[in-house]
Amino acid sequence: MFQQSIAGAAGRVVAAEGDRSARARAVIALLCLALTLSVFLSLTSGASDASAVRVIRDWVTGAVPADAALAARDQLIVYDIRMPRVLLGVLIGAALAVSGAVMQGLFRNPLADPGLIGISAGSSLGAVAVIVLGATWLAPVTLAFGTLALPLAAFFGGLVVTLLLYAVATRQGRTSVATMLLAGIAISALAMALTGVLIFMADDRQLRDLTFWQLGSLAGSTWPKVGTVGPVIILALAAMPFLSRGLNALALGEATASHLGIPVQRLKYIAIVGVSAAVGASVAVSGGIGFVGIVVPHVLRLAIGPDNRYLLPASALLGASLLLLADAVARTIVAPAELPIGIVTAIAGAPFFLWILLRKRGIVDL
Amino acid sequence: MIEARDISVAIGGKRIVSHVDFAAIPGEVSAIVGPNGSGKTTLLKALTGELAYTGTVTLNGRDLASMKPMEAATLRAVLPQATALSFPFTVREIVRLGLIGGRSGVLPGEDARLPERALARVDLDGFAGRFYQELSGGEQQRVQLARVLCQVWAPVLEGRPRYLFLDEPVSSLDVKHQLIIMNIARDFARRGGGVVAILHDLNLTAMYADRIFVLSRGRLAAAGAPMDVLNDELIENVFDCRLKVGALPAGSVPFVLPQSAA
Repeated sequence: MFQQSIAGAAGRVVAAEGDRSARARAVIALLCLALTLSVFLSLTSGASDASAVRVIRDWVTGAVPADAALAARDQLIVYDIRMPRVLLGVLIGAALAVSGAVMQGLFRNPLADPGLIGISAGSSLGAVAVIVLGATWLAPVTLAFGTLALPLAAFFGGLVVTLLLYAVATRQGRTSVATMLLAGIAISALAMALTGVLIFMADDRQLRDLTFWQLGSLAGSTWPKVGTVGPVIILALAAMPFLSRGLNALALGEATASHLGIPVQRLKYIAIVGVSAAVGASVAVSGGIGFVGIVVPHVLRLAIGPDNRYLLPASALLGASLLLLADAVARTIVAPAELPIGIVTAIAGAPFFLWILLRKRGIVDL
Repeated sequence: MIEARDISVAIGGKRIVSHVDFAAIPGEVSAIVGPNGSGKTTLLKALTGELAYTGTVTLNGRDLASMKPMEAATLRAVLPQATALSFPFTVREIVRLGLIGGRSGVLPGEDARLPERALARVDLDGFAGRFYQELSGGEQQRVQLARVLCQVWAPVLEGRPRYLFLDEPVSSLDVKHQLIIMNIARDFARRGGGVVAILHDLNLTAMYADRIFVLSRGRLAAAGAPMDVLNDELIENVFDCRLKVGALPAGSVPFVLPQSAA
């Protein structure tokens, strides 16, 4: 644990100056605790008064509840409604935050975010297409995949954008990150325009559906959705720790990273595929949830520094915790109705983002 | 050794380097000199595999084009002219990046203290906790050199010589640190490694280089020991300046040469 430490004057072990890894590990331990608490809070709170504690206690002890009907209702609420929702909240929060951190490292730009290069817009277009055209042009798709048609379409929308970006930005085996950023902005604009056409064609009921979807929500989380997007997100997240050293080196520029021994092209490839899979899967089930990918890595960089070996796991933990808390607010603040979670994250995230810009203005202007 | 044969590099259809032969021998400091735009940095980028080139480059007899990044990184480290950073890393965190490949060549367990040793080497003792972006240009350049030194701390690893590529390593340094850095380069060579450095100061070059490669408009104009290469004719032809090598300034004009260092 104290590998990077040197013996202090008093003979005790102290961290070397400029080495923030001890603090990073402490913060990660705290975030583990925070996530545990957030999960517990999310399982126990909601529009209904169902007691998760009682359900879990009965399940663990095998006790027979006094009021069987009430117990069955509580069990249904906790197992089939809250649990998949909490699981998806954790996965999506982690996916969005880690994707943001990876994109920022890849583009060497602290303001990068999966939304910026059009992945979210592509996913959105896929989803809106299913909502608006599901009964007409895309009827075979909705027939074949049922309720999974929308998340699948969103996922493929994101994937198509990513492949297009990659094709445009890659010349002779080298991907230009700057071209990718610019192409992403163009593709994003195109996807939003096409989404606009679909919105123009939509009827009133569809409009309500797609507005709600675009604002983002974890409502409608079910076990089948967990089963569909869970493995995709978990696989993508599992690949990210292998990127951390390479992303650190990339902070010095692509050429220097390569001179340090990092296979830069492979790093870019894995990062792009991983992020588009994670973001596509997230947008597919929850719609557009903004600002998690920007805010979480920034807060953590202020706390523990930009070392990706710690930043990526810490982002996953904090992203998951924040999304669960935002969802708890979304579920309870106007109960029994529900606020779209995207509104909660944007209301909390946007002012914070502006504050970062204000604070950083001095440095940016240097 | 590093051997390059018939190297040509074109960028955007314009040929920057034409048919250059180059060799750097372990134990020597090889300097690349030439006027602005003569292709020095482009040649260096070809030699390090950063730019696509025609011709062949071999490192210790192995073709550079067939080496994986990590294999090349074990054999050589590269100091760029300037490095801008996108995130607020501390000086120590930057220097530590040199250890990513884990082939510094010090004993196991000594890696942990190597950043401090490397910083002391470039006269940046006590800078470990500072933020890189808050340092001056010259200090940043020395931080990067400390990082590069960490990567190939031992000039010879497993019996094979290793190399330092330095692109204008002293361009933004005061005279004291110019001497410190050039002494580090010479020491690296004396202990069995090879150094390839782009330099602008012809006096420093004459003092430290064992071999000079002079580029002019992308072609090799001359190569050899400083005594043989640096003469009035070459200075006039390559640098377009009528200067006399070895002439002292007249009368009372003071001049300070690195060669006078005690």
